[in-house]
Amino acid sequence: MSEQQAPRPSHSGPPREGRSGPPGGGQGGPRRGKRQYFRKKKVCRFCVEKVDFIDYKKVEMLQPFVQDRGKILPRRMTGTCSKHQRWLGVAVKRARNIALLPFATEL
Amino acid sequence: MADRLYDLIFICMPATPEEEIAKIVSTLEQTASEHGGKVEKVEKWGTRKMAYRVAKQREGFYVYLSLHSTEGGLIKELERRLKVTDAVIKYMTVRLDEEIKRQQKLVGHREHRARRRPRKQTAAAPVAPAAPPASAPPSEPQAPAAS
Repeated sequence: MSEQQAPRPSHSGPPREGRSGPPGGGQGGPRRGKRQYFRKKKVCRFCVEKVDFIDYKKVEMLQPFVQDRGKILPRRMTGTCSKHQRWLGVAVKRARNIALLPFATEL
Repeated sequence: MADRLYDLIFICMPATPEEEIAKIVSTLEQTASEHGGKVEKVEKWGTRKMAYRVAKQREGFYVYLSLHSTEGGLIKELERRLKVTDAVIKYMTVRLDEEIKRQQKLVGHREHRARRRPRKQTAAAPVAPAAPPASAPPSEPQAPAAS
């Protein structure tokens, strides 16, 4: 493990720093302390309701996962699990095709 | 050929008279039966606002059909007919049988798991539900009475 980990930082050092940089902030200190704020854990809404098939015809169901301008909201915003996000994407795209949801809102 | 399930949605011009829509639907049904298919369900959603403009219209009359097809040429023929019909401004066919199959598989998995899980829980479960009903009801009537 230690042997594997050791070379990694040198190879992929810069991108790693970039990734861990923003949330960490400074070195050690503040990060190790208590979290500044508590984030509620998001749960996949479809998993809770045990949805096996996301119907593209139910626009009200899809609406919360789409921005006003028609963008599909990312998983990190809605908390949808990857499986349901995939199905959701398909459903939204079908709904768009038949003008139930917008591709992009016209002004 | 295997039996396939399709959803067919088409949008008519908002000014289309009801009789014409009924005529379109009946011709579609007829075409389906000619090609060894069957229209299971017809739903008229009525005039509703479209998310974007189609054929310079902001509203459209939505009609939804659910149909079974055993012949590949049927969908082609139905779509050709819809394309030719002037009143129809948009249509879409979606094949759903494979997704439904997948869905049923998932449901089967879940039931299988659920069937297995209770065995472990039944040992603990009877104890938990049994105890609260005995103790909880007496305490609940008391609380409202006190307040």
